[in-house]
Amino acid sequence: MTGDNTAVLGIEDPPVVTIRTRGRIRSSEWFALYTVSIAGALFLAGLLVEATGGEWRPVLWAMLDGSVRRPGRWGETLGTAGPVLLVALGAVVSGKAGLVNIGQEGQLLFGAAVATYFGFLIGGPGPLNVFLILVFGALGGAAWAGIAAGLRYWRGVPEVLSTLLLATVSSQVVAYGMRWEWLLLAPQSSRGNRNQVSSQLAKNNRLPRPEIFGNEFPITVHLSILLAIALAFVLGRTVWGLRLCTLGNNQRVAKRSGVSEKTYGAGALMISGAFAGLAGGAMFAGGGFSFGNYQFMTGFSDNIGWTGLLVALVARERALLAIPVALVFASLRTGSSFVGSTGVEGRITDVIQGLLVLALLIPPAVMYLRDLRRARAAATARV
Amino acid sequence: MTNRSVDLIGADDAQASSAPAVEFREITKHFGAVTACEEVNMTLWRGQIHGVLGENGAGKSTLMKILIGLVMPDRGKILVHGEEQQISDPLDAAALGIGMVHQHFSLIDALTVWENVTLGDSGSLNPEAIRNRIGDIGDQYGLVIDPYALVGELTAGLRQRVEIIKCLRRDPQILIFDEPTAVLTPEESEQLFNSLRNVVTSERRAVALVSHKLDEMLSAADEISIMRQGRIVDHCLASETDAPTLARGIVGREVLLRSEQAALGVARTEQRSLGRDDRRSASALTETSVLRIERAVVRSPDGFRLLDELDLEVKPGEIVGVAGVEGNGQRPLGDLLSSLLALESGRVEVDGKTISSGRPGAMAVAGVGVIPEDRHDSGVVLDMTVAENLILTNPDRFAKRSVIDLKMVGAFAQQMIEEFDIQCDGPFAPMWSLSGGNQQRVVLARELAQKPKVLVAAQPTRGLDVAAIEYMSSRLRLAAEENVAILLISSELEEILDLSDRIVVLQKGQVAGEIARGEADLEHLGLLLGGSAL
Repeated sequence: MTGDNTAVLGIEDPPVVTIRTRGRIRSSEWFALYTVSIAGALFLAGLLVEATGGEWRPVLWAMLDGSVRRPGRWGETLGTAGPVLLVALGAVVSGKAGLVNIGQEGQLLFGAAVATYFGFLIGGPGPLNVFLILVFGALGGAAWAGIAAGLRYWRGVPEVLSTLLLATVSSQVVAYGMRWEWLLLAPQSSRGNRNQVSSQLAKNNRLPRPEIFGNEFPITVHLSILLAIALAFVLGRTVWGLRLCTLGNNQRVAKRSGVSEKTYGAGALMISGAFAGLAGGAMFAGGGFSFGNYQFMTGFSDNIGWTGLLVALVARERALLAIPVALVFASLRTGSSFVGSTGVEGRITDVIQGLLVLALLIPPAVMYLRDLRRARAAATARV
Repeated sequence: MTNRSVDLIGADDAQASSAPAVEFREITKHFGAVTACEEVNMTLWRGQIHGVLGENGAGKSTLMKILIGLVMPDRGKILVHGEEQQISDPLDAAALGIGMVHQHFSLIDALTVWENVTLGDSGSLNPEAIRNRIGDIGDQYGLVIDPYALVGELTAGLRQRVEIIKCLRRDPQILIFDEPTAVLTPEESEQLFNSLRNVVTSERRAVALVSHKLDEMLSAADEISIMRQGRIVDHCLASETDAPTLARGIVGREVLLRSEQAALGVARTEQRSLGRDDRRSASALTETSVLRIERAVVRSPDGFRLLDELDLEVKPGEIVGVAGVEGNGQRPLGDLLSSLLALESGRVEVDGKTISSGRPGAMAVAGVGVIPEDRHDSGVVLDMTVAENLILTNPDRFAKRSVIDLKMVGAFAQQMIEEFDIQCDGPFAPMWSLSGGNQQRVVLARELAQKPKVLVAAQPTRGLDVAAIEYMSSRLRLAAEENVAILLISSELEEILDLSDRIVVLQKGQVAGEIARGEADLEHLGLLLGGSAL
């Protein structure tokens, strides 16, 4: 961006001023900035808790209990972090291509619905069925994002709008599917009085949940970490990754050097949707109390799509950085379920989450503004 | 030079009656370790045009920005009409009657002339009064313009006229012109200087004219200050100096190379050496064109014909200069050859094969290298590393099974950095950390490393300093000697005259005329540019 700035001002060939030379003092500045802004966010969160009649200490303790300390809870946290990370990885891909996909919630829901439908339709032996569920989840998510891609590249509709609005459409479509037994709805016998749930996935058709120290979580957690590493490699070290990043940074350079905006852009959007859909399939086949217990239902996505988007935002499109960020956000989520016991509204953690997102985005913004100011100062120097 | 010597000149008859409008006293400005101005003393007299001459980075624009209040000096004083003034922003400057016509136009295409002129006003709007004022200014200074014309449809010369009217409307006593002729034809420049002369002599206003072109300095200015590395190194009357003296002052040594002379605007066509050209024109005759554009039509999204049945051929080893006033199809021509625009009809052939226009990368694959007009727009990716920028157009060459071999890339980048003398922190420095000239070298290195058959160089030396221009020119010559067909699109006539074997003039998306090298001279070209028939 600083370079753009000098270009705008029409200034060339600066004598010696480079922004680069300041790089050495930077890491400590970064650390300080993050510390200050996170502390600020936590302080505000504490104030908020006190203001709503609670006490910050028990709330914090409850959150720690809910996310880590109580038996089985860190397994639950990891199990939540898995799909969140998958969604975030998808957002990283579209972000690298310069596209803003914000409809992961819908892509995840639709992917999960498709996975559910085909999972029951095809059946088959356990491991194969699990594999199919994951594949169809990814395909469903990709297809849903594909609508936005089609609108973007054939009709010129901005993907920011279409992905977001399609998320609403997605929940309507899924609600329709939940009305019919030949689509998603479970037969009367197995749903009892409950409406709008699918049949439960048979025991041998579920993702393995190995137990470690009394905590269990589905193996999609491993899968998502492997995928994060693989994605970091693909983006950083392959021709495809280079070309995708070129497209994201400068469309005209990309076109000149043979990157088709349609192919790469539409591809990136669909891959992004596929990650969200995969997360949906993984949530369905991976179970866990908070994810429908192997049953699909309306509202199945349960904000995992939005959370994953935030993770990508905070990790600033870096696949590996998304791993710890996903863990933090998953902890907030699992921790929040225990906050209610302190008498404070559990949803206060949503506010805390929002504050944290802001806190994590402030340092890059500050650094960016400072660079910009310095570049301007340097630019005016360069006659 | 010091104030005293300026005063001596001030004692000259022509200046006896004039008073100093602006006096710079020991103005010093540092930006970090960079000295932009160092103890600059200069006096602008009423009723005179004061030329400020110097290379890019010499400090002339900073000095002017100090006067207009965009930059605060570290030390020194500014006296306006004999009184010391603190100018801390352009509003202060306006209050003191100082106005500036900037190098880059700040006009809004979609608005009419009078709307643009009134932009920035506060309070209630009186369109009639403004239009009358535009008419008055037009009559008074010969700056006639239709107040209802859409700015987007005006030529560069007329747009500048709007900028000048914007400035004159506030009746400034002190006028600053920053590189005013950068986008004008020779004729338009002459008109500009005529009206400038009017403003100065009839109303005794003071004018500071910033430029790096010697010819126009000599013809337009009364006195000239030469800046180099932030200092005033020489000061003289325009009537008592000549171009070679000024050129020496700017560069600080004898100017030897023709491209340098071209950059400074002192080149004369007859100075050209002919030996190499004879050899090349002989070989060019025998070979068939490697780039052939036939009846090319390109339309803008709103239906306007950007290229209108354009025909153009370039032979191996030939440098074809494309001259023309900007906005006559130069940019679409460059974009077409960068695969950024698709043809509506006609075709582009490279080496006898028709290339599908507008298909991403098709031109690059066919062997067309491009140094784009605006490197940030279509040349480099600022957020990537130097190495990545060097392999962008052909990453597969550095990959095994589509995984990029970083060692290979690093070695290649290092080699390019050394060969093209790119100043940077190694192959993996981010592109934005490089200066403009070095970014341009990265583009040049990348395009030449592809061993192109055709090299399109669009405004390749724009905004570069003399050393960089010299380097770019010699590289282009070298490429031509290695039998690359070169299409040089430039608005600098001297550059085109200096390098080209053959010159075509673009007008309204068509080739309006063609001149063989021997026949070309500035006047002839200038007439063509201005729309005169051959």
